[in-house]
Amino acid sequence: MNYPVWELSFAGGGLLIAMVAVIHVFISHFSVGGGLFLVLTEIKANREKSPAIMAYVKAHTRFFVILTMVFGALTGVGIWFTISLLNPAAVSVLVHNFVFAWAIEWVLFFIEILSLIIYYHTFDRLDPKIHQLIGWIYFISAWLSLVVINGIIGFMLTPGAWLVTGNFWDGLLNPVFWPSMFFRTFLALIIAGLFGMVTATFQKDREIRQTLVRYGAHWLLCPFGLLLASAWWYRATLPPALEEMVFSRMPGMATFLLGFAVCSALIVLGGLVMAIRMPARLSRPLALVMLLVGLTYIGSFEFIREKGRKPFVIHGYMYANSILTEDLPSVKQNGGVLQIAKWSLNKTITDENRLEAGAEIFTLLCLSCHSVGGPFNNILKVTDGLRPMGMKAIITTMGSDLRPYMPPFAGTNLEKGALVEYLTSLQQK
Amino acid sequence: MDIASFVPVADAIPVHWFWLQSLLTATTFLHLVAMNVLLGSGIIALVIMFRRGEAARPLSCAVAESLPYSMALTVNLGVAPLLFVQVLYGQFFYTSSVLMAKLWFVVFALLLIAYSLLYLHKVGMGTSRTSLTFLTIAVLMLLVISFIFANNISLMQLPENWLRYFDQRAGWLITKGDPVFLPRLFHFLASAVAMGGLAIAVYFEFRRRRGDGDTDQWIRLGSTWFALTTGINFGIGFWFLGRIPSNLIDLSHPVGQLYAALILVSIPVAIVSVIRAMSGKIYPAAGWALTAVLLMTIARDCLRLEYLKPYFSLDILPQRAQYLPMVLFLLLFVGALYLTVWMIKLLHTSQEVQS
Ligand code: HEC
Repeated sequence: MNYPVWELSFAGGGLLIAMVAVIHVFISHFSVGGGLFLVLTEIKANREKSPAIMAYVKAHTRFFVILTMVFGALTGVGIWFTISLLNPAAVSVLVHNFVFAWAIEWVLFFIEILSLIIYYHTFDRLDPKIHQLIGWIYFISAWLSLVVINGIIGFMLTPGAWLVTGNFWDGLLNPVFWPSMFFRTFLALIIAGLFGMVTATFQKDREIRQTLVRYGAHWLLCPFGLLLASAWWYRATLPPALEEMVFSRMPGMATFLLGFAVCSALIVLGGLVMAIRMPARLSRPLALVMLLVGLTYIGSFEFIREKGRKPFVIHGYMYANSILTEDLPSVKQNGGVLQIAKWSLNKTITDENRLEAGAEIFTLLCLSCHSVGGPFNNILKVTDGLRPMGMKAIITTMGSDLRPYMPPFAGTNLEKGALVEYLTSLQQK
Repeated sequence: MDIASFVPVADAIPVHWFWLQSLLTATTFLHLVAMNVLLGSGIIALVIMFRRGEAARPLSCAVAESLPYSMALTVNLGVAPLLFVQVLYGQFFYTSSVLMAKLWFVVFALLLIAYSLLYLHKVGMGTSRTSLTFLTIAVLMLLVISFIFANNISLMQLPENWLRYFDQRAGWLITKGDPVFLPRLFHFLASAVAMGGLAIAVYFEFRRRRGDGDTDQWIRLGSTWFALTTGINFGIGFWFLGRIPSNLIDLSHPVGQLYAALILVSIPVAIVSVIRAMSGKIYPAAGWALTAVLLMTIARDCLRLEYLKPYFSLDILPQRAQYLPMVLFLLLFVGALYLTVWMIKLLHTSQEVQS
């Protein structure tokens, strides 16, 4: 109730963040797993004294540098920009509590950039051992930055003891910290394998191509069992209420759970198929399709995690519409949403301003989850065919056991009436 | 309506504000230097390529080679001040960002395109018209980005502008009635060109000391750009100073006094840097110029506090002390510096082995 709301009615919050975020998590996991892939493949080339594999490592590095430094780094900044526009209050909590975790992340990001540039430029110039050391420095800093950000993302899902203590370490090392860290690490290796197979299919020599594609397939198959084990562990550490929300109560979740399951199978299947000898004509499109499977895979996972957190943005602490859980009861007592919100124009509801006030209430309380006419959770669609009485009943039961995926309606009865009128007017347009 | 009532409530900070403000100023300084080198060397290379064509090759190649890395560094060094500004001034900064949300989002798209173009330019390296076009578009985008950033900074320190949100909720708000907006923007841009020139001089000076040929003309070119634009920037700087509302700076107050002192000291420092550059003492000139930029960065942060004085002072921020994370950060930072020096030395010696 502190900040103005960006009225992005069509896209809602969801669409923008989803687009930027899915691309970013995909590339940033690649930038972790791919680091290890580079070093280990370089070691393999040295051990087998194979100039062809070495040439492949160089070519792959070039691709890696551009993809991770341009798209990885910038989409990271992009997410940051987007979420601070969509939910400044929540970002402010993350920034203020974890400022030095972010600052550590920044230093690691700096080392990543520097070591990667140097790694890329010194293939033939440094002693192989030292060159590999630079590669290790890159990988370790990239992995550590995953560890840190993993803590902050986990915090939003399960803030754990932080809710009581407000302590930095309680928040960062929250209940899902460890399983999620392992899960993401294994996922990073799989994604590295997917990209490795793509660049491998561009090798001219048939033997080398075959060897390298198989090598990439190993990166999918070997960590896969561990990935599933850590996913299971992840699920087991969720508090029961949250677990129930994610796996049975959240509307629309089934699609993503199914997506995750199907992609799991496809990853294994793809890994096995890719190991078969085949011409580049075939293996190249197949590798690209596998890349899309990987994108869908990680996308489904992130959607499950994001959706499962609803109606909160920071679980048990702040609702998606940035009202603090503990403030909720006092909103009504203090005259309602319009009174409390700093950025409302209509402070009281009169006969003249009812619709305008209703629109402001919608913006403040609902827009964070519902688009108006957009693809994500469209309010026009969910209210389609409802009469004012029906809407009122729904709004009254928000946040109850009937509708646990929405925060309780924070406003007064008068505000509820104005909101219903506004929603009805939307339908008539 | 009382504007102060629209300023959001600030969250608690984990360490004394002095630490955070110092980190903000220090990292802003680093970011500004990187940004200056990126934008300035890009602009100069563009002008020289248009004017001299093939004859500019040594310069244009060197710049083309460096631009993607300058960009990476500028973005990376921008992350830290973006973080610290949110910790100390988030209630202003988030608000202004939301008010101009669409513009702010455009920054991200422009960065992505500009960055890609700089890579393409590097690959084509001055050999074709297309590659020149890439650079031109990239530089234009960087200029638009600097306009948008200036807009946000202006908007965040002038809450008087905020109420226009109620007529304009879709996020296209442009600051209005800020008399210093243009002079400040031009002051920064001129500084970028000057520092870009200096960076070119430093780079070729470095090569000269290593014994490379054909460096003198580029050293002279870089230092001339530096001296001329800095000269012009004195004019812009006084224009800027003259436009600052006269009642804003409170000389009876430590922040106002510090601000005035910094401006007074930075002028002779900048003059010394120009004199040194003109007499071919490139490294000392760079030292003086960096000092001037640092002093002005601190002055700039003082000025922001003066702007926000009706609504805010750093002392009112609630604090919930937890120092260990900061200590870890500082340790890692020192370690990273050490690692950086080691890696750069390595790069340096590896080149010598090669050539
Ligand atoms: C935390 C996010 C969130 C917020 C905030 C939110 N909703 Fe919802 N809403 C949902 C979800 C999720 C659904 C279920 C959509 C589905 O079934 O696909 C939903 C469904 C609905 C429905 C359809 C009935 C139902 O329960 O399925 C209505 C009507 C509705 N919301 C109105 C509102 C109104 C009015 C507000 C603001 C006062 C609001 N919502 C705020 C997430 C939210």
